[in-house]
Amino acid sequence: MLTPDDLSRHVNRRTFLSGMGVGLGSVALSSLLARDLPAAASGEDTTAKIGLPGLPHFAPKAKRVIFLCMAGGPSHLETFDYKPALAKSDGKPMPASFTKGQPIAQLQGKELKCLGPMTKFKKYGANGQEISDFLPWHAKMADDICIIRSMVTDQINHDPAHTFMNTGSATSGRPSMGSWINYGLGNESEDLPGFVVMTSVGGRNPQPIASRQWSAGFLPSRFQGVEFNSSGDPVHYVRNPRGVSREQQRELVDTIKQLNRHRNESVGNSEIDTRIASYEMAFRMQASVPELMDVSNEPAKVMEMYGAKPGDGSYASNCLLARRLAERDVRFIHLYHRGWDHHGGLVQYMNTCCGLTDKPTWALITDLKQRGMLDDTLVIWGGEFGRTPMFQGKGGAGRDHHIKGFSMWMAGGGIKGGMTFGATDDFGYNAAEDVVNIRDLHATMLHLLGIDYSKFNVKFLGLDLGLTGVLPCRVLESILA
Amino acid sequence: MMAKSRVAVSCLLFSHPMRIPARNVFPMRHWCILFALALVAATPPLANADTQQVDFERDIRPILFANCVGCHGSDQDEREGELSLDRADDALSDADRRIIVPGKPDESDLMVRITTDDEDELMPPPDSKKKLSAEEIELLRIWIKQGATWPEHWAYRPPERHPVPIVEDSEWSPRWIDRFILARLENEGLRPSPDTDPVTLVRRLHFDLIGLPPTPEQIDHFIADAAGRVSNEPSTTGDAGNPVADLPQFERAYERLVDRLLASKHYGERMAIYWLDLVRYADTVGYHGDQDQSISPYRDYVIESFNDNISFDRFTREQLAGDLLPGSSNDQRIATGYNRLLQTSHEGGVQAKEYLAIYAADRLRNLSSVWMAASLGCCQCHNHKYDPFTMKDFYSLIAFFADVDEDRHFSNGGNSLPTRRDPEAKLLTKTERARIAQLEAQVAETEKELLRLKKEPGADTAELKKKFDRWSHLLKEARSGARLTMITKAIQPRQIRVLPRGNWLDDSGPIVQPAVPEFFAGLDITDRQPTRLDLANWLTDQSNGIGGLTARVFVNRFWYLLLGNGIVPMLDDFGKQGELPTHRELLDNLAVEFIESRWDVKHMMKLIAMSRTYRQSSLEPASLHLRDPYNRLVARQSRFRFPAETVRDNALVISGLLVTEQGGTSVRPYQPAGYYRHLNFPKRTYQHDVDQRQWRRGVYVHWQRQFLHPMLKAFDAPTREECVARRPQSNTPLAALALLNDPSFVEAARVFAERILCDGGESTDARLAFAFRHAVSRVPDARENDLLSKLLASSRKRYESDTKAAGELISTGQAPRAENVDPIELAAWTTVARAILNMNQTITRN
Repeated sequence: MLTPDDLSRHVNRRTFLSGMGVGLGSVALSSLLARDLPAAASGEDTTAKIGLPGLPHFAPKAKRVIFLCMAGGPSHLETFDYKPALAKSDGKPMPASFTKGQPIAQLQGKELKCLGPMTKFKKYGANGQEISDFLPWHAKMADDICIIRSMVTDQINHDPAHTFMNTGSATSGRPSMGSWINYGLGNESEDLPGFVVMTSVGGRNPQPIASRQWSAGFLPSRFQGVEFNSSGDPVHYVRNPRGVSREQQRELVDTIKQLNRHRNESVGNSEIDTRIASYEMAFRMQASVPELMDVSNEPAKVMEMYGAKPGDGSYASNCLLARRLAERDVRFIHLYHRGWDHHGGLVQYMNTCCGLTDKPTWALITDLKQRGMLDDTLVIWGGEFGRTPMFQGKGGAGRDHHIKGFSMWMAGGGIKGGMTFGATDDFGYNAAEDVVNIRDLHATMLHLLGIDYSKFNVKFLGLDLGLTGVLPCRVLESILA
Repeated sequence: MMAKSRVAVSCLLFSHPMRIPARNVFPMRHWCILFALALVAATPPLANADTQQVDFERDIRPILFANCVGCHGSDQDEREGELSLDRADDALSDADRRIIVPGKPDESDLMVRITTDDEDELMPPPDSKKKLSAEEIELLRIWIKQGATWPEHWAYRPPERHPVPIVEDSEWSPRWIDRFILARLENEGLRPSPDTDPVTLVRRLHFDLIGLPPTPEQIDHFIADAAGRVSNEPSTTGDAGNPVADLPQFERAYERLVDRLLASKHYGERMAIYWLDLVRYADTVGYHGDQDQSISPYRDYVIESFNDNISFDRFTREQLAGDLLPGSSNDQRIATGYNRLLQTSHEGGVQAKEYLAIYAADRLRNLSSVWMAASLGCCQCHNHKYDPFTMKDFYSLIAFFADVDEDRHFSNGGNSLPTRRDPEAKLLTKTERARIAQLEAQVAETEKELLRLKKEPGADTAELKKKFDRWSHLLKEARSGARLTMITKAIQPRQIRVLPRGNWLDDSGPIVQPAVPEFFAGLDITDRQPTRLDLANWLTDQSNGIGGLTARVFVNRFWYLLLGNGIVPMLDDFGKQGELPTHRELLDNLAVEFIESRWDVKHMMKLIAMSRTYRQSSLEPASLHLRDPYNRLVARQSRFRFPAETVRDNALVISGLLVTEQGGTSVRPYQPAGYYRHLNFPKRTYQHDVDQRQWRRGVYVHWQRQFLHPMLKAFDAPTREECVARRPQSNTPLAALALLNDPSFVEAARVFAERILCDGGESTDARLAFAFRHAVSRVPDARENDLLSKLLASSRKRYESDTKAAGELISTGQAPRAENVDPIELAAWTTVARAILNMNQTITRN
């Protein structure tokens, strides 16, 4: 029998849990991780469909995010940030006033010389956005994108810089932004994970990407990113064992379900209900994932627009798949294209990388726009850092890693297109106007999704920790539509 | 039904307070302050404030921490108004300012400031968006009125042995652990759960102590033993708090089982799984190219140490400072691999100075999480906001490790597999040395015999000669089998500075010497530079160090391993922002017991396993679920899915595939093709083991930090980049896909099916009974029998019509196939075996 106290305890526990992750009521980590915590007690839907109570905090502009990560660090000086003064100093020593005491990667102990822009820029779109000749297809969508030319980051080596970009911290063990967003808003997809990661082939000797980049960190693991592979099984173990048909697998999963249900009648363990739901979702994924990856029903002109060939694992194919994922309500879609690490041979490798990514990116934006989906899809493009105004000559002219100023762009859901925000100094070294750090980027992304970053925390190691961390940050109001 | 009162606050507003027994005053509230505060408003006023003591830690500190300490914290540099509300001395001792005047709330400035109408004076300031509720203000008032006692944070007080509480039901158990649990339950008006059934108990104990399921024979043996039907082996010890002779038959049989499992060589493997998570053991460097590194002998050291039950203080010393011990042995040098387990980067363009700072911080985070359950990592950039640690403490602790030789890989640690992380040494582990000694004895004996026979005319020595040659060969192999492993070597210490805001480019901070945090006294060395060895001793010394804290941290983790929850829920944060222990006195007594047992880990594991608390049923009646959803009061045992490695080991045991060889290099089970394609420097192809290593225990699986085996990952094994004291427990479609389709499990099902067909009798019923007994230690009931029979029939029908498919299914995996088994029958039973291996109960410890 329930006492009134039991009831009030229950009600209040739910009230308490309803505040979970939103500032004051941050739920303790140990409760999030509690072993043996029956699903019903967690107050969360076990298939992660429903987000936290109280979220979104306000009407969102974007429902989902497509993050186009140009891994390796594209040069801002050859894409979106034209520096005539740097051209004039080409070959001359880089003024020590910039570089003294600053972090530096492969150019440690080397003579530092200026390297002027290695391509031409023109102005495009209604507001004359400056875009380099390496990106002719970007030029066509100048009015859709908001270029941010004043990005800074903390980390100068690839691995920690990605971790910083994705989690807001260079320390391992923090949740990736896709995990945060699914944790907060839930996954609306019936039969696909809410956070999907794809990495494309092609490009210069690619930098490794660790699965840490899509880790759920200290959040429950069901929020981790799931990598879809372009070759082999699209998701690990999604294919039946050899000699087992889909009907047989159905029968097997049904039998397991009935065995579990039967057992549950005597042990009353709601974890078993969750297990049953997980098996159902797993079985659905065995069909939905191959269906998603099968682009044979896409019209030829769409394939052509992207430049995609079925199963080639290219960035073009992944852009097309990103649209298909977006159509299926996947919340966070993260594409990595590697090969942007141009310490040398910059012109040659920019041609390669832009050749592989420029048009498909345009196709993705255009396709989304044509389907009316760009309005509620936030698209973000950028690398983990930029590149030095200084020359590096590892096999022809190139540039080293650079963190004090670089470019990214955002488009779609709630972003003002056709504008440039922020600026670097004359040499393209330091972000000088409207400096944007990674926390600001995260805060703005969360804002567009209807989340107040300052109220979106989980208690971890005694701190209320959110994606944006503990240092001050801001929403970039002036780039909002 | 008796009403249970809750809170001291609301009662003040109530004119006719009801008298209730004092022990009912604060039921259920220790374990979650936020929860308790949420209850405050909704609880009917029932009790009298005058009869109730406000508890500072439970009631007051959370209010101060949530509302005040952000500005009035321990960090001198950032503190507002020269006032700290996180330490007693500051808040209470300032007689001039009269901030808190014990006994006199009306004269205390604190009360004035939190109740004033003047917005300029009000605390917390309105622009902070923090506001104290009426109840919180009342709690503060009552607390000051009652004398404003402000004890030191519970975790930093030395543990002391508390008297065992008196319980109403003295029959339930004579053991002191149980008395503490029962007293609390009685306070709450709850009863412990009934004992679980013997079969579940045997299963539970096997999974908890050795991480492997019992065989049906082992279950039968226990049941017979408990019924007095087995001749008694002498119990090795009787030190679990009770004279063995007075215990009934069942107790003696149970104790024998506990002793047997603690003596099993698999115990060390099970404990190692947990330890390796704590110290972030992995086979790869972690950053960038994630190259392999040489460290597997360290894992063997951990397993051997738990098996040999070396005392925990020695275990600590050997890992942190084995190289500094006089005449340090092989094992002690291998143990110092601990200092090298952090992640390193072999990326071109890393700046040595930056990475040495990163490594130092990594090491300190781990040390403080593992031994102190403290989040000292915060102090890399600023003084701790809540706990008594400063930046200077952080860098002074780092200075203990300034002698660790670790910068050589910047010049020679390239993109090879394994990469080089000097200093490394080729060392034989204890197990390997024992094997060599055994072989030497065998060789010597055979040699002697040969010599003797040579003197006997006509004796046939051919067989013996063969034996001699084989053993000599094995001996030679064993002697040369030493593996390379990273060790710690002391060099001239680097200079360590405080890095302002953690900035490694900033050399303006003061130089620091090795020192323990100022808050803790103890390390009183003035005549020389303190060393890592001094630090290790300090960690486990109760009188001249923080041994009491370390003991608490670890008994809490042993409790977690056996009960599914910690007495302190946060296993790696005993700080002021963490949660309070549910059973503070029990935790203390366990800690004291641990120290007084001379840090005897097996003793503690046995003590807890012998308790009646441990032996409760894990079933959760609905009423208990509503009452205590997190099972913090331990009115029942826990039930949870196995850790990832056990999911694997369990299937291997059930199928009969498990290879129980101990120690050695890491093993590589089947893994999806192309899984390492994102790795570079160098590019990686994964080749799974094609020999017996394919079926070894999960603890030996190659741990690739950046791409952990997808099955281990799906079942929540951590990547071991940071200390993990408690793995999450997820229940996801990815885990379902792994258990359904990973070839390791399909192969296990196939081999299990062969076993069922060969050894399980002739009838379907007999075979299903055999299969169930091996998988879940019981026979199926009618419904289960029916469901599986149907699946069998349907699967058989399908494979009869498609023999090719049958052939495909039963050729999964490289385990040799029994020759005399009908392929269709085998394929059909493989389907049944897959169903059994995928049942929730098959992977659940209950």
